[in-house]
Amino acid sequence: MTRSSANRSLVRSHRDDVRLWRTVSPWGVGILVVLAVMAPFHTSDFQNTIAVYAGVAAIGGMGLNLLTGFTGQVSLGHAAFLAVGAYTGAYLGQELELPLLLWLPGAALAGALVGAVVGPFALRLRGNYLAIITIGLVFIAQHVFANWTSVSGGQNGRSVTAPVAVGPVDFASLEVLGRSFTRDQGFVFLVWGLVGLVALTMKNLTRSRTGLAMQAVRDRDRAAEAIGVRLARYKVLAFVLSSSLGAMAGALHGSYQRYIHPGEFSLTVSITYIAIIVIGGIGIVFGPILGALFVTLVPRLIEEISPSLPFVSTDTAGGGFMTVFSLNQAIFGLLIVLFLVLEPRGLAAMWLRLRLYFRAWPFSY
Amino acid sequence: MSHPRVFRIVAIFCAASLLAAACGDDDTETGADTSVPAEDDASADTTPTTAGEPEAAAGFDGGTIRLGVLVPLSGLPSLIGNPLAAGQEAYWAYVNEELGGIAGRYQVEVVLEDTLYEINTTVQKYNKIKDNVVLFAQVMGTPHNQALLPLLRDDNIVATPASQDSMWIREQQMLPIIAPYQVDVINAIAYYLDEGGGSVDDTICAVVENDVYGEAGLEGLEFAADHNGFDLAQVSRFDLGDSDFTAQITALKNASCDLVFATALPSEFNGLITTADTLGFAPRWIGQSPSWVDVFAGTGLIGYYQEHVWIVATGPGADPTASEFHELLYSYRPDQKPDNYFVFGGYQARAVHQVLEQAIERGDLSREGIIEAMNGIKVLDFDDVIGDYGFGPPEDRDPSRLSSMFEVDPSKAFALGALKVNFTSDAAEAYEVPGGR
Repeated sequence: MTRSSANRSLVRSHRDDVRLWRTVSPWGVGILVVLAVMAPFHTSDFQNTIAVYAGVAAIGGMGLNLLTGFTGQVSLGHAAFLAVGAYTGAYLGQELELPLLLWLPGAALAGALVGAVVGPFALRLRGNYLAIITIGLVFIAQHVFANWTSVSGGQNGRSVTAPVAVGPVDFASLEVLGRSFTRDQGFVFLVWGLVGLVALTMKNLTRSRTGLAMQAVRDRDRAAEAIGVRLARYKVLAFVLSSSLGAMAGALHGSYQRYIHPGEFSLTVSITYIAIIVIGGIGIVFGPILGALFVTLVPRLIEEISPSLPFVSTDTAGGGFMTVFSLNQAIFGLLIVLFLVLEPRGLAAMWLRLRLYFRAWPFSY
Repeated sequence: MSHPRVFRIVAIFCAASLLAAACGDDDTETGADTSVPAEDDASADTTPTTAGEPEAAAGFDGGTIRLGVLVPLSGLPSLIGNPLAAGQEAYWAYVNEELGGIAGRYQVEVVLEDTLYEINTTVQKYNKIKDNVVLFAQVMGTPHNQALLPLLRDDNIVATPASQDSMWIREQQMLPIIAPYQVDVINAIAYYLDEGGGSVDDTICAVVENDVYGEAGLEGLEFAADHNGFDLAQVSRFDLGDSDFTAQITALKNASCDLVFATALPSEFNGLITTADTLGFAPRWIGQSPSWVDVFAGTGLIGYYQEHVWIVATGPGADPTASEFHELLYSYRPDQKPDNYFVFGGYQARAVHQVLEQAIERGDLSREGIIEAMNGIKVLDFDDVIGDYGFGPPEDRDPSRLSSMFEVDPSKAFALGALKVNFTSDAAEAYEVPGGR
């Protein structure tokens, strides 16, 4: 074990215990930041678009992971929080012409409020019953936004022209040292910057008193209560934080896409988010980031290889017994099952094991 | 109780749902458009020109012109997306093989992408191919076109929406090709009153989808009511995806409607008709063109459809022998079953062909050149197969006022037999397109 990694792991004082970068190597973060900044220079708008959607999904996924992975509250209603954030962000940014630093937190706040309303249900219901309640939330949200035409545009959808500038830095037309960036490149910086910020916050939250209490609720709520953890507080708080992150993701989604429609926030989206945290790694902070990248990239990969698969129809002439869409769905379903059976902690756990192996190398223990 | 365990059960259930959905049959109905034609072997503007050679531009390497097509090739909407894109492919195959390409020398290549009928996938696919196409010859889905509009404006690219929504008419980046839904409704009412045995004293009602499509139908109906001097006795609404129409049909039945105009998509239209049959309600129904798909002809309700339902659409329908254009199009796709969407795809390609001819004549296939060419076209000519479209800058565009009426006839192509083809009415001529002069 190297000296630096030993230092990272060894807690010798309270100061060590609470330091912001305790769990992450500054060098590692530095390399990631450099890579993230450099990447958009070498990628097309298509690849940047995928990166933006993946980043948005990562933020929303980290929210769901906090609720489901760290607090043990099953939710199939994440799409509803995304919708709340998307429409709130659009309204605040476009109708009220608020800047990014107000409409984005405003959208997160709206999501938090809805989460605070839903959270108390988790006090009376658990498991499958809670899952059913949260499914209802998706249908309610879709109905509201399909009919609240003055805000949502109803079934016609609405355009979104929320500004994405922070002071003089406009991510929609970024210029740094005389170099201009495309809108897609600007959004990669914005969204992945936020991914980093949210991940850092999550990492530190989960090792704080609050995070540990949430994990105690997840592991055995009655026992947690018996040792003094206030279930009501932490269950509701988990819903509030999770839904605010979901709403933030929705707001970013609308802002990037510049158009939102109620049909975009369906139960399928909630299931996709479940897939993101299952595949990425439940209860591991960076799991949803890996899951989001996987879920966003794999369909594109499947599309690329589909023409060479004789059983997949990829053109107007038909042929094959399934379409790319069907193949994607089947693979996702299969992956969720396989991950749950074979590697319940997802890609993140695989990465952690790999890292551990090389850290201990050449020893096997 | 272990929450992760419960969660696993729920997640496995979700996964199983996905698997089940994936393994399901993709066949069913859907809905969305019109029919249309445009005939002849040598479409009006296809003669080779001697203007300056256009320089290479995005989507044009000096020899081949690439055109983007964004449609769903997977899932239920592919029932429309597939024939739409097939119509494009058939037309460009004809241009490449028979005419030697556009202006007799530039081959056309269709860059086809599957949108899965998802908005975010449409945006991704747009970004994937935008730098590799001269324009988008076909984009399916109203919300999908709406999502692309800001991108099209930013990139100054033209797209041809596969939709009759009137909102595209005044958009510089859009190349609409047929009359908006309102015109079809107005003409359908005129037909009902003049030749269909109806009268202004009848009880005339509507049932419409609760979205922009439904509003377009209702706007046309209200215009027809004002113009012809009748009141709408009952207007019922439903949401896309609804499956229970008892309330709507009961309200229409209680109003004793003689005519019900329906602006719906196929699954909802079939639900309305099924409920009407169940409740013993049998008025004259007129459905907007996207209400119909020929699978209805194979259902147990065919008797009701034949007796009570008419469909209003554009052009002579899907019949492969309806015009020279139809014959030509089907000849390049011999396996294609008669389909309105297939023919519509061909009309769109024909309109794009005229724009490209104009751009080549001007010697400029750049994005600015395409816009200028589009604005320079006075009329999109469909050789009387469907009505010509007064074109030019957005403010000057004046869509055709022609529509066609069909009855349900399982023995005919697309299970629709023509009652009257390409007719107009005083009311339709008097109708001003939104944003027009």
